Amino acid sequence: MTSIRRQLLVGLLAVVLIAGLFAAWGVYQRAHEELDELFDYHLKQMALSLRAQSFEPFAGGPPGIEDGFDFAIQVWSQDGIRLYFSRPHAGLPNRARLGYATVETSEGDWRVFSIQQRGVTLQVAQPMAIRQRLAAAAALRTLAPFLFLLPALGLLVWFIVGRGLKPLVTVAGAVKARTPAALHPLPDRGLPEEIQPLVTALNDLLARLERTLGAQREFVADAAHELRTPLSALRLQVQLAERAREPDERAAAFSALKQGLDRATRLVEQLLALARQEPEAAQQPAKRVELGELVREVVAGLEPLALAKSIDLGVTRDDAGAIQGDGDGLRTLLGNLVDNAVRYTPAGGHVDVAAYRESEGAVLAVVDTGPGIPPEERERVLDRFYRRVGSEAAGSGLGLSIVKNIAERHGARVVLDAGPAGKGLAVRVVFPRAPGD
Amino acid sequence: MRLLLVEDDPMIGESAQKGLRQDGFAVDWVRDGQAAELALANGVYELVLLDLGLPRKGGLDVLSGLRAKGNAVPVLILTARDAVPDRVKGLDRGADDYLVKPFDLDELAARVRALLRRRAGRAEPLITHGDLTLNPATREASLAGKPLTLSAREFALLEALLDRPGAILSRAQLEERVYGWGEEVESNTVEVYVHSLRKKLGTRFIRNVRGVGYTIPRPE
Repeated sequence: MTSIRRQLLVGLLAVVLIAGLFAAWGVYQRAHEELDELFDYHLKQMALSLRAQSFEPFAGGPPGIEDGFDFAIQVWSQDGIRLYFSRPHAGLPNRARLGYATVETSEGDWRVFSIQQRGVTLQVAQPMAIRQRLAAAAALRTLAPFLFLLPALGLLVWFIVGRGLKPLVTVAGAVKARTPAALHPLPDRGLPEEIQPLVTALNDLLARLERTLGAQREFVADAAHELRTPLSALRLQVQLAERAREPDERAAAFSALKQGLDRATRLVEQLLALARQEPEAAQQPAKRVELGELVREVVAGLEPLALAKSIDLGVTRDDAGAIQGDGDGLRTLLGNLVDNAVRYTPAGGHVDVAAYRESEGAVLAVVDTGPGIPPEERERVLDRFYRRVGSEAAGSGLGLSIVKNIAERHGARVVLDAGPAGKGLAVRVVFPRAPGD
Repeated sequence: MRLLLVEDDPMIGESAQKGLRQDGFAVDWVRDGQAAELALANGVYELVLLDLGLPRKGGLDVLSGLRAKGNAVPVLILTARDAVPDRVKGLDRGADDYLVKPFDLDELAARVRALLRRRAGRAEPLITHGDLTLNPATREASLAGKPLTLSAREFALLEALLDRPGAILSRAQLEERVYGWGEEVESNTVEVYVHSLRKKLGTRFIRNVRGVGYTIPRPE
């Protein structure tokens, strides 16, 4: 598992360490250069101060040489014979180039300065290691504070990051405490601005979840409540059938019972259809649906019902072409509209079904010569379980809300109007114009 | 006994009305709250069967309005709302009983009888008057221990008169109690039933107060 705290700690410490090393390296280089200059000068001065001396009678070391700096001095005569070697260092060459030179020996690099004077060659040499050591010491002094600082810095980062992340733990605890029954928003006061968007997004999600769950709960409660009505009727009808003594009385009771069963069955079917068409339900991918065909199919399916009620059901237009949508859903939508129209229109009336195209897009229209719906109720009849006062047909109150759900899923509008000449009901489902239409 | 049934569902209303009529009640049926208030303004009902989810005016509002006017008619709530708070609310608003849908027709009739009995101040399920005993539950009657055959209307008429012995009920009042709306009432029908009851119970059992109505005198 990745840990922000660990990542920050490792990253910060690495950066500090690298910075320290760079600084030390810089100091080392700089110190080395300065020491080069200084020691070179020193070598030259020493050589110059020695040249006046005569080396023939030399015994012991020349004066003024500090051992700490590990100088070596060689003197050669004009004919190349070594007259003097302060301290024999095997690696130093027996010949010298005049001026400064760096020579490699078996004991490491040496810095050498040679001059010639009156036939005598004088050479002063010093190991480079001394300069490196001094430069390294300087570099180390630079690095030391960084090294001491590292653990303190580490602890500091650990604590600050820990403190900074504490609200996350609090938020996690608060999220954990949420259940489907308790989806109230998370506290978002005093949060660092980095966590605020997360909590805001979570609260948004919680609110949407609560709404959806609430709607579901409401739906289940409503559905159970609505099922009680047909069940109550069924129970009474059964009892009346049981009580019936005379054959015609019994026949009437059974006929009523059958109607009650039909109604209960229809309600259950409508509830299922509604649950299937809920916006939250898993949806089929959109397919090409030929609206003219759909209209003909639905009208043909409901023709027997219309015939039984002596209603003239027919298609007036079917030139809407095709739209992208859910074929089953659209069939349910149109089926509900036509079914409603046939149910509520008195015998001898007309129900016209049409699919056509207008400037806005494709339209499915069902126009009947029934009692219509007054304007003030036209919005509400789309609500779930809304039943109109005094409507004789015992509807489930779900048909139009199923229509509304399906239409919404297709981005379509459901428009209720009076029919032509202000009589009856005209329902239009207006689909949006598809891109590229 | 005349009852008002307030129920918006046509199937439930129709069946309940039919069933209660079979049990010997005169039942008027209205389908919304406003119609219920209009019907109740007449004050002819012994009991009201009230659905809560009514169009135009909710059942609880009808109930509150009824009690606010000082109308003490027993009210039995018939509803699909079965949560305890709903029941408490219904009873606290002045209902006398609460029956949750789906209900049993026999239970409904039994509760109606119980409420009517309480209203008449009787704890006894049987109505007795001298030698006469009426059983509202079974619609059976007996005189001096012997079974007595009565038609449903005769029974209802007798029950109405025995509700408050000594009270004089006019012909119109008796018709109201015995018949629901839409039931045909012939002009001399109360006289016909009184006549046949007198034949079965004795001529002095039901007294006619001329120009006022009929009464069954309190037993001495």
